[in-house]
Amino acid sequence: MRVLVVEDEKKTASFVRKALQAEGFAVDVCHNGDDALAAARATPFDGIVLDIMLPGRDGLSVLRQLRERKNITPVLLLSARGEVNERVEGLNAGADDYLPKPFELVELVARVRALTRRGGETKSTVLRVADLTLDTLTRQAQRGETSIELTAREYRLLEFLMRSAGRLCGRMMILEKVWDYDFDPGTNLVDVYIRRLREKIDADFEPKLLHTVRGAGYVLKETP
Amino acid sequence: MTIRMRLTLWYAGILILSLLVIGIGTYREIDEQMRHDHRRAPTEHAIGETSEMVFQVGLPAVLLGLLGGWWLTRRALGPVKKLTDAATKIHERNLREPLPRTNNGDELDQLTKVFNDTLARLDDSFMRIHEFTLHASHELKTPLTILRGETETALRDESLPPAERERAASQLDELRRLARIVDGLTLLAKADTGQITLAMEPVKLEELVRDNFADAQILAELQGIQVELAACEEITVCGDRHRLRQLLLNLADNAVKYNQSQGKVTMSLRRVDNTAEFSIANTGAGIPPEMLPRVFDRFFRGDPAHSQTVDGCGLGLSIAQWIVSAHNGTIKIESATMKPTTVTIRLPLEEFPRGKA
Repeated sequence: MRVLVVEDEKKTASFVRKALQAEGFAVDVCHNGDDALAAARATPFDGIVLDIMLPGRDGLSVLRQLRERKNITPVLLLSARGEVNERVEGLNAGADDYLPKPFELVELVARVRALTRRGGETKSTVLRVADLTLDTLTRQAQRGETSIELTAREYRLLEFLMRSAGRLCGRMMILEKVWDYDFDPGTNLVDVYIRRLREKIDADFEPKLLHTVRGAGYVLKETP
Repeated sequence: MTIRMRLTLWYAGILILSLLVIGIGTYREIDEQMRHDHRRAPTEHAIGETSEMVFQVGLPAVLLGLLGGWWLTRRALGPVKKLTDAATKIHERNLREPLPRTNNGDELDQLTKVFNDTLARLDDSFMRIHEFTLHASHELKTPLTILRGETETALRDESLPPAERERAASQLDELRRLARIVDGLTLLAKADTGQITLAMEPVKLEELVRDNFADAQILAELQGIQVELAACEEITVCGDRHRLRQLLLNLADNAVKYNQSQGKVTMSLRRVDNTAEFSIANTGAGIPPEMLPRVFDRFFRGDPAHSQTVDGCGLGLSIAQWIVSAHNGTIKIESATMKPTTVTIRLPLEEFPRGKA
């Protein structure tokens, strides 16, 4: 997997590169829009992390140019302005995801992972991780032979975690996809729900599937 | 006493005084004339004749003068009244709307002009403060992003000694808090400068309240706080779904945070006087009356000792207030020391609010 990071702030570009490399991505870095366009033309990337505020040609303009050239590489926009209208504007311009600054690194990595795997999602109506299954039609969850009762919210949380099984999910990402919140409410809502979900799907079973990743996220997978 | 009243009384005094002067003058004249005509007992006669004249002619003249005076002061001070009415409507948000001028160049028109100029300068100052806050919060974002990213990078290092790890993790917590403060500040600064457009659509409030109720129950569980939904009528308002959810979660989170363990939170959604009324009450330590008017102020902390233990950015209620006013609604808070605190918001039902905050 090869990712292009377009960010003019050198330090930010540096730790984003390190974090993505640590996750096994090959990372190219550009510090301005024109270089980014040239790089995207020369190399087929699996994903682009694009800062909106760039010297010269800004991120949105780069994005529009890319899409005009029929380049459909998934793009994650970063922005320091972080405003609803900008998110909408970015998504309209053809971005696949949007992350306001200051972001959490795990959040960014999780999103890039999701982005580069897009399309590879399972089409099956029954999601499965180890002996945990979730039927998305009947909304039935089962661990082995035991069926598990879930509230509506718990179901949505589990469905999201199972669809991204094996991938790290950041708190903001979960809030966005499960709660549809586009702001950080500053509550421990996600943690509390995860704890409840864990009691239902993990407490009486082995192996444990729902893992906390130090820092800011959760992952559902068979091996810790 | 109003100026109009005072002027009228003065005017009445002057008229009565002049009537007295006229009376004395008339008496002297008549007396003189009678003496001249060699009549007898001139004095009593002169008094009778004078008072007759004064009452028959002078009194109606005085009454007419009074009415005229009343009318005159009313006319003269009318523009002042208008100016006062217009000026009472001035607040921080409409400084840009000038007071209406007559443009006839008179003293009051001059005064209005001076007033408008002052307002414009005041508006400039306010805008500059808002813009400063906005720029400041933007400027903070880049270093904050770097700090957060580098701290996280440090935490990922497996070889980090436990003590260092502990420190880095604690720093990351504070950075998260700082990020929330900066986010809140940015939001409010944008709202102040009118840069936020609400996405207005019909919103089923009862659905948002039920969702919020479920979330509040979860948040309250750890402290053993009981959450109750006393009423949830079906009400649709025109609003921004995201902002309204933010508002509700904000209030629910506050009601849980500022509560006692084993306490209670009660929320309800009702239709009251053509508004949607959402109220949320909790059994906290209460808010002393002298602090109530300030709870919506930014970064206002009622009890400095208490704020240490409660994690929050200090902007929650300010943001709540903004969201409500952007929906043309009202928010009020009732409390007293050791009494339950109730926050009540009312959103208009029919009216379609403007998109700008």
